[in-house]
Amino acid sequence: MNNSLKQPANIVVWVVLLTMPYWMGFVGGYTELATRILVMALGAMALNFLLGFTGVLSFGHAAFFGLGAYGAAMTIKYIAPSSMLALFIGVLVGAIAGALIGALIVKRRGVYFAMTTIAFGQVFYFIAFRWNTVTGGDDGLNGWHREPINLGFTQLDIYHNPMLFYYFVLVIFAVSVGIMALLLNSPFGRTLLAIRENERRARFLGIEIERHIWMSFMVSCVFMALAGGLYALLNNFTDPRALRFDLSGNFVIMAVMGGMRSFWGPLVGAAIFVALQDVVSSHTENWMSVIGVVFVLVVLFFPRGILGLTRKANNS
Amino acid sequence: MSGNSKLNIRRRNLLQGGLVLGASQIASPFIMTARAEDTIKIGWDNPLTGTYAAPGKNELIGAKLALEEINAKGGIAGRKVEIIVEDSTSGDAGTAVQKARKLIDKDKVNFLIGNVNSALAIAMAQVSNEKGILHIVPGGHSDTMTGATCHWNVFRVCNTTQMEANAIAPTLIKTYGKKWYYITPDYAFGHALQSGMEKACTALGGTKIGGDLTPLGTTDFSSYLIKAQSANPDVIIFLVQGDDMVNALKQAVQFGLDKKVHLAGAQQELENLKGLPPEARVGNWVMEWYFDQPNVPHVADFNAKVVKASGYVPTSRTWFGYVGIWTCALAAAGAKSIDAAKMAKALQDFHLPPEIALCPDGAFYRAGQNQLISNLYVGKARVKGVKGPDDLFEVTSVVKGADVAGTLEESGCKMTWPA
Repeated sequence: MNNSLKQPANIVVWVVLLTMPYWMGFVGGYTELATRILVMALGAMALNFLLGFTGVLSFGHAAFFGLGAYGAAMTIKYIAPSSMLALFIGVLVGAIAGALIGALIVKRRGVYFAMTTIAFGQVFYFIAFRWNTVTGGDDGLNGWHREPINLGFTQLDIYHNPMLFYYFVLVIFAVSVGIMALLLNSPFGRTLLAIRENERRARFLGIEIERHIWMSFMVSCVFMALAGGLYALLNNFTDPRALRFDLSGNFVIMAVMGGMRSFWGPLVGAAIFVALQDVVSSHTENWMSVIGVVFVLVVLFFPRGILGLTRKANNS
Repeated sequence: MSGNSKLNIRRRNLLQGGLVLGASQIASPFIMTARAEDTIKIGWDNPLTGTYAAPGKNELIGAKLALEEINAKGGIAGRKVEIIVEDSTSGDAGTAVQKARKLIDKDKVNFLIGNVNSALAIAMAQVSNEKGILHIVPGGHSDTMTGATCHWNVFRVCNTTQMEANAIAPTLIKTYGKKWYYITPDYAFGHALQSGMEKACTALGGTKIGGDLTPLGTTDFSSYLIKAQSANPDVIIFLVQGDDMVNALKQAVQFGLDKKVHLAGAQQELENLKGLPPEARVGNWVMEWYFDQPNVPHVADFNAKVVKASGYVPTSRTWFGYVGIWTCALAAAGAKSIDAAKMAKALQDFHLPPEIALCPDGAFYRAGQNQLISNLYVGKARVKGVKGPDDLFEVTSVVKGADVAGTLEESGCKMTWPA
């Protein structure tokens, strides 16, 4: 890895993210839109850990996003008013579900893997949808909100101060993305790339394919659940649609649109997706068609996503 | 790795390019829609797409009519009024919440309106309450909104499910019998409406002899209908809505059920009746407002204006939207302020003027609950319109809202006001 050349790209990304709430207003956005982009980007990058760097497509990842969201929401509503505890429990719930489901499905490949992930995802969706007394059913879970964080010496009022909440999310985003980057640059990450490139060859080299895919699935689920928890805190609300397969599809679209082979691709994809959704839907009720057209154009003309364009030019 | 290092230079350039491109996506439409600061803004966060697109659009027609009238009379507090419209979608509460925050934080609206879907309305109410914005719910029926989860800043125009159930139950028991079978949509609204119906039915000596919860979006109701028929009820109560209502009634009539048992329900909408084939326009229902009220002053005017604007007669949804927007103007006038708390205080036990109430016994927001109490129209579906093709409902009795609303204590609302 030539870090001296990779550095500028990273600097640009971080400068943009660090200053986002300050210029968001000038381009027609608002702080909570910036936070939403970060949360969705974390989800898309978590999915991409599995999709782009292990070569396994999950179409049910919203299940873990939603479990994180419900885990966080129900912690604050029923257990204790603490945002940090909520995130921790959200992640824990997502991780446990990911570990169990992952173990059941790692032997499946391709479309079978994708189908079983949808099936498991819908199981959680219907539980949330039907279990009215606990999850609030279709009405969603409300009557709670994110709580200020007590650091002992000072209190971070992330509830009333949206700017502070943005930076709170950014710190969590940075740590999560850092961990994923470290993992990808470790021998473990290299092994995942080997599996992606040629599973049979990797198997002949003595790599335990199933265990590695399971671990990659776990990593992906943990960060997905974290994104879900943050999403619930952002909205002060969660509902069964946070678990449904169409949200899983949206994450796949973000990753593919931005470029699933590049590390920052899903971030760009999520930013474009969320911003387009926010802006176009204010102007026309046919906003979904616009997003659809953009996606089709990206897939047709930049099959490796917007950031993947470079690689194509490079290879030719 | 040399290939990768080249890639990274390109990647940076592209990233920058991508961001500029992304930013321009957001920037250009914003410039086009830049708005004057001195207007009063009403944020409209209601469905334009999905299952509830038709009622959502009709509410908007009513709202726009009210907006014209308000501006013609000098606006709110002497300032011109505008409505900023956002599509909340029909069922995605996350989007509705996001739009509510956008309207409040970015567009700095003075009022928030929505939603047809109760779940979305409840979720939005939490946002509006957090931000202290006056919020009018034109057409979401779940009881909790002006009950257990009521807020000082949230006012509702349409009725609660319990009010609808109380309005229709006596007619059904007296005329058709005491054994009821329910076909209920399996989500919050359906559960609330069924429990309301059961309560009203039991109070009058009726019984539930069975029922089915049907998933939202069911197209084939035959198994439920066969089961319902074999239970041998006096009345089959259809609580499904929208397309589900259309499918269920169509199939019930195809099975000949309308000849054997009585078909009825609670909430009915003109939008649904229009969607049904003539032979399936059967049964007894409640409408929350109806355009054919020859003896009520101002209704004919209102009808004429709506027909002129949209080409169709107003439905109860049109009226909800109309009342919703007028409530904003009346609240500001009553409080002589656009401070949300003062306006909410002014709306306590506030009686709408007759040209807006448009119903025989008038309409008022009940204090301590913020629920509009107006009239309910009990009647039958008609195969063919009498006064024009849209006159598909025959009102047999007009019920006073106050008679079916129950007491304030029964609503379960414990209002807390900001200090």
